[in-house]
Amino acid sequence: MTQNDTYDAIIVGAGHNGLTTGCYLAKAGLRTLIVEKNDWIGGAAVSRSLHDGWTYSNCSYVCSLLRREIVRDLDLPRFGLQVIPYEGGATFTGDGDYFAYMSDHDALRREIARHSPRDVDAYDRFAQTVMRQCRFIRPFLLRNAPDPTSLHPRDLGELAFLVKQAHGLGARELGETIRFWTMSIGDFLDEHFESDLIKAHLAGSGIIGTGLGVYSPGTAYVLLHHYMGDVDGSIGAWGFARGGMGAISNALGQAFAEAGGEIRTGAGIDRFRVRDGKIVGIALENGDTYDAPIVASNMDVKRTFLRHVDRACIPDDFHKAVTRFKIRGSSAKINIALDRMPAFPAAPPNAPFLRGDLHCSTSLAELERGYDDWKDGRWSAEPYFDMLIPSQIDPTMAPAGQHMMTVFVQYAPYDLEVDGVRSGANWTDGARDALADCVYEKMQQAIPDIRDRIVHSEVRTPLDIEREVGLTEGNIFQGELTFDQLLFNRPVPGYADYSTPIDGLYMVGSSSHPGGGVMAAPGANAAREILRRAGRGRKMPRLAS
Amino acid sequence: MNTHTVPIGLVPGPVHDRLEALSRAKSWMGWAGYISPAVLETAEFEYFAIRNQTTLFDISPMHKYRITGPGAEAMLNRMVIRDVTRIAPGRVGYVMWCDQDGMVIDDGTLFRLGDADFRLCCQELMYSWLLDAGWGFDVQIIDESHRVAGLSLQGPTSWSLLKEAGLDLGDMKPFDCRQVEPGLMISRTGFTGDLGYELWTGWDGAGALWDRLWAAGRNWGLRAIGYVALNIARIEAGFIAAGMEFQPVHAARRLHRGRTPIELGFGRMVHWDKGHFNGRRALLGQLGKGSRYSLVKVDIAGFKPAHGALIYHRKRREVGYVTSGVWSPTTKRNIALAELKAPYGTTRTDDLWVELYVNEEGRWDRRMLPLTIQDKPFFINPRARATPPGPF
Amino acid sequence: MSGVFDAVVIGAGHNGLAAAATLARAGMRVLVVERAKTVGGMAKTVDWGAGAKGPEIAHLLYNLSPAVTRDLKLSLDTRSLPTIALSPDGAHAVMDGASLIFAAGGMHPQAADYAALHERLCRFAAFLGQLSDKPPPSLAGGLASLRDIGGMARLGLGLKRMGKADMREFLRVILSNAHDLILDELPDGPIAGALAADAVRGVWAGPRGPGSVFTLLYRMGQGGGAALPIGGIGAVTDALARAATTAGAELRFGAGVASVEVEADTVRGVTLEDGTKIAATAVLSSLAPLPSLHLAGAAHFDVETTRRARKVRAKGTVAKLNIVLKSAPDIPGLTDAQTAGRLIVAPSAAYVESAFNPVKYGAVSKHPVIEAVIPSLTDPSLCDGDRQVLSAVVQYVPHTPEGGWTDAGRAALTRRIIDTLAAYMPGLPELIEGKTLLTPADIEHLTGAPGGHWHHAEMSIDQLLTVRPMNGMARYAFGVSGLYLCGASAHPGGDVTGSPGPNAARRLLQERSA
Repeated sequence: MTQNDTYDAIIVGAGHNGLTTGCYLAKAGLRTLIVEKNDWIGGAAVSRSLHDGWTYSNCSYVCSLLRREIVRDLDLPRFGLQVIPYEGGATFTGDGDYFAYMSDHDALRREIARHSPRDVDAYDRFAQTVMRQCRFIRPFLLRNAPDPTSLHPRDLGELAFLVKQAHGLGARELGETIRFWTMSIGDFLDEHFESDLIKAHLAGSGIIGTGLGVYSPGTAYVLLHHYMGDVDGSIGAWGFARGGMGAISNALGQAFAEAGGEIRTGAGIDRFRVRDGKIVGIALENGDTYDAPIVASNMDVKRTFLRHVDRACIPDDFHKAVTRFKIRGSSAKINIALDRMPAFPAAPPNAPFLRGDLHCSTSLAELERGYDDWKDGRWSAEPYFDMLIPSQIDPTMAPAGQHMMTVFVQYAPYDLEVDGVRSGANWTDGARDALADCVYEKMQQAIPDIRDRIVHSEVRTPLDIEREVGLTEGNIFQGELTFDQLLFNRPVPGYADYSTPIDGLYMVGSSSHPGGGVMAAPGANAAREILRRAGRGRKMPRLAS
Repeated sequence: MNTHTVPIGLVPGPVHDRLEALSRAKSWMGWAGYISPAVLETAEFEYFAIRNQTTLFDISPMHKYRITGPGAEAMLNRMVIRDVTRIAPGRVGYVMWCDQDGMVIDDGTLFRLGDADFRLCCQELMYSWLLDAGWGFDVQIIDESHRVAGLSLQGPTSWSLLKEAGLDLGDMKPFDCRQVEPGLMISRTGFTGDLGYELWTGWDGAGALWDRLWAAGRNWGLRAIGYVALNIARIEAGFIAAGMEFQPVHAARRLHRGRTPIELGFGRMVHWDKGHFNGRRALLGQLGKGSRYSLVKVDIAGFKPAHGALIYHRKRREVGYVTSGVWSPTTKRNIALAELKAPYGTTRTDDLWVELYVNEEGRWDRRMLPLTIQDKPFFINPRARATPPGPF
Repeated sequence: MSGVFDAVVIGAGHNGLAAAATLARAGMRVLVVERAKTVGGMAKTVDWGAGAKGPEIAHLLYNLSPAVTRDLKLSLDTRSLPTIALSPDGAHAVMDGASLIFAAGGMHPQAADYAALHERLCRFAAFLGQLSDKPPPSLAGGLASLRDIGGMARLGLGLKRMGKADMREFLRVILSNAHDLILDELPDGPIAGALAADAVRGVWAGPRGPGSVFTLLYRMGQGGGAALPIGGIGAVTDALARAATTAGAELRFGAGVASVEVEADTVRGVTLEDGTKIAATAVLSSLAPLPSLHLAGAAHFDVETTRRARKVRAKGTVAKLNIVLKSAPDIPGLTDAQTAGRLIVAPSAAYVESAFNPVKYGAVSKHPVIEAVIPSLTDPSLCDGDRQVLSAVVQYVPHTPEGGWTDAGRAALTRRIIDTLAAYMPGLPELIEGKTLLTPADIEHLTGAPGGHWHHAEMSIDQLLTVRPMNGMARYAFGVSGLYLCGASAHPGGDVTGSPGPNAARRLLQERSA
């Protein structure tokens, strides 16, 4: 018995961006349906109980990028969203030392001085540069990216805004901005610091989630992508969502429901239905069909068009552009239930920095070698990882006295090479275990008894993330954050305004400007564009400053 | 077990145990990571001790850098705006240094200890900047911040007190500095506009030095003070402070927050003819184009300190703000330093008003108060410069 | 010789000479001072011993500016060479302009895709090429300078003329990486490899590095071909030297500069290593920023400028192996004419990327990427009798490997290069009569180029155009009044383009007439 029904708008995929778009459409009075293939909502922002008593943020694991304008506008705290900033972070060396990032400024200076006296004020200069770049870019996050080839007044207006912002920088800063946007995180850090350990600690943010190495040009910008978030106005601060990342999706889901939206889970899409170049609705795998003049895809651009849209419905150029859009799996995730708080023998007991992001990569060269391994289809022999134990400050994540650890691992290829063949199918259970083993081996730099602490663990390869969440190659940004895929080039030149060649079909996921991270900006920007085109632009609150 | 732990938060300075014992107000503040007294007893009495007796203030949290080597003079001369060759050994110069755009990075005192031996004391961290500035010169740069302690002894009886402590400095002129004993250097410098000295010794010797001064101070009204009292005195003297009158440009995270020496009123200190120095080309450009701002000393009507208040022209156009404002207990005037946007403060100096919000026991009141621009420091007393100084 | 020169040019490399010729032609009294005994810098023809001559470092012209050739009335005799993409399986291919065929004759299956890609790249490259013969756009006052707005408008117009689709594609790929650009169109193999190798020749980057499209386009700026100057690459610098002297410029050799004299923030001249003082109202340095800055002295620059100059990246990755052969080598699968072409050993883009990996950690590529040419096959005047010279540009080789260069290390590198070539030229080792290896360290020693880097400063986007060689110093004027940069570190950059020199010279002339 198949169902069908008619809506004003349908959104495919209940990730945080799809939910955000849904909230704004529903609040503008559109009868809106969100369909989600999984039995739960959230996409990659989920909290799941995979081992009795433990809650895993089993994909994305921290937040800061979530735009505060959107949190406020959708009143998400009322739906239980609480973001708690971290207190620091550290990188552990193999010889019993560490570099700790301290939230206390005086302590941070002392800690930097312990590694390099001259890096103390170098850090201030580094922070100044990064903050200035964050300030420069933030106004663009909640705006459309202008199409420089267009003479449309809206594009010219956005272009004029860009020129005005750039002009405000002055020549010197404009030059620095050009350099910052185009240089590698490795070169950027080499310009500022002398301590390898400090550089390695700061470099992670330039490569997390990308198919680039620390010396690949453009990675300084990626750093920004991780720094421009703000927890309570403090730029660059990161936080945990209480109850895991699913708390964000759940709050968005409740806001959506309150606005009158409808969510159908366990409802995977079969295809977008197109007639005469216009979207007319969707068909689900179970045979249900729904009609709507507006359909938005929260899936990435490749999955949307290469799997769920009839090839005949899209022009060749667009098809080619989508085909060559680069989405490269480069990271894995390990979620671990710990029987107690593990000991970090190098660190002072109860050090606040243990309640932040912890790492074991000690030099830029080591990070770059990790990238070389990945290019050749192997996981990094000495992987970089970003590990956190959120249960230290979030009692909801694990039984009392026990802990939950989340480990983001870079680099792990999607198409693993075995015997000269590169394929996702090479991710066997054996390969999965070997990857985890490699991570634990390295992790012993910080936690010598890590293997004894593990009650349960879940290893998620790029393939696993693709299968479960639907992200192509398990890429967390729905597309590489390289120049050719940013701003007006994202996802396809000429379609950076969330529209597609199919009238009424929109892209609302991280494949679109400004890109990935649990930011919700693509979702909100897309909603603005959809409502504007539907003649309901006034129903969209003004978010951009 | 680890041995790497750095302390979190503020740490005690070299004479903290003495200060702790003297503190009744328990009013502390952070200064470069050290616990520093804001007030020890009451700010008012501490202030009057500066102008009437002698006061002791721990300035050890200042950053101190030693610059030595055959290229030291040339290196510093390229860095600061004034001509370092005119600072003789045994003399101290007030210096300011700028970035490439002519914006002030920081100011401080430069001690010329020898032909090729300098010490720079300043508020901001400057180590990597100095290393960069020293590149290409034959110099060594050492961060002495945690090795050298400083005690500031300020007030009309300070010369007498030192004599009683066995340190007769009758021939020492303002801005002189000299090694008076092994491990003890004294300079006739200060931040109060009054007679005073700064004593420099090893970090570990600061306690003993404090005790020696304390013992000698019994007959000279010596009093330990905190920052609040000192701040009143420095505004009376018309001295600028980093973070107040200017934002040290390396620390400013927002764009266009820098100010040039010319804008801060130090145009005459710029020695244009000494060859290149950092920011010179940019500053020359400003000479041609004119300043964007001017820092002025102002006298405001009424009695309420106007710190942070906005300034208007003809009560309508916002033209600046008060960077530091206090009631001056000595001159009985409501004084302040203020930044005005050009041309206000230079060619347009009349009809300027301070907007003040005053809370008197739960009742808020908005007042527009006229201000007048002063060209001299508010507090000037010949005893500050007399050599030999008078006994009190 | 007494009196004051209008300009002293430091270094008689092709850029210094082109600058001197431009100034002299404008009526200025110009002196070029050169540390070596001859002109040339990196573009020299030298004696290789055993009765053979050949190019010492640079060996081919890719992107010599036609404007420079025209303005300076250079008469150059050059032969355009096809590119031979050597394939390990012997199915070598000949790339000549947009045409691609198998060396053995016959249609190449990638011919159409290659032609389309080549044509597209040439269009983009020609657009970029327009930027080479003028200073980069200024950032001063944002976009306020009227002259620049005119320039930008013309640029924008040029962009518009491309058509919307092209313009979109240009803006998409311009900051991107060559690996993806190439492999989006072609399967990985020798053709992709040859293009990838061209994208990264002389730079510290692999084809996967963003920015490598720019360096590929830079090389293709004048049509994308490679030309061999008759008489060796030195013929180009000789022609420039003639252009300079004909116009009245004076050249002095064995005249290393000890310092640039500065007084009151203004250049007064130079002092040579032998103590000779030469007065001049302007000095143009074809050296990189840091050595130029050293000559004047750090005291004359802002601290930030010295910091930037120190941080200019210039990590050389190219070694040169010059081999004298008893006779021409046999390359199975190639005709004699093809053997005289530009021979590329880069079997795939992945090969090029893998070759880049070790140099990041101070080691030599296990399997190097080579651009080899046997110029004597085209230009017999270089050698006596049957002898031939083989000139090989080899990547990637670090400036200084861990532990420094040893005889054993040099021998191992030489062997590795010869073995790599011998895979395509069986019998090569037996033909060798003499050989000279120049590591990046040697190249630095010979030419003063920091890091032995071909372009004096890395050709990465953050060191190009308005920020080349460094932010605030992009328009040739170098801090002190009267001091200019005129070498490869200045816009548009390295290779024998002839552009930076005249651009710098025009900047000086403009200031003088203002």
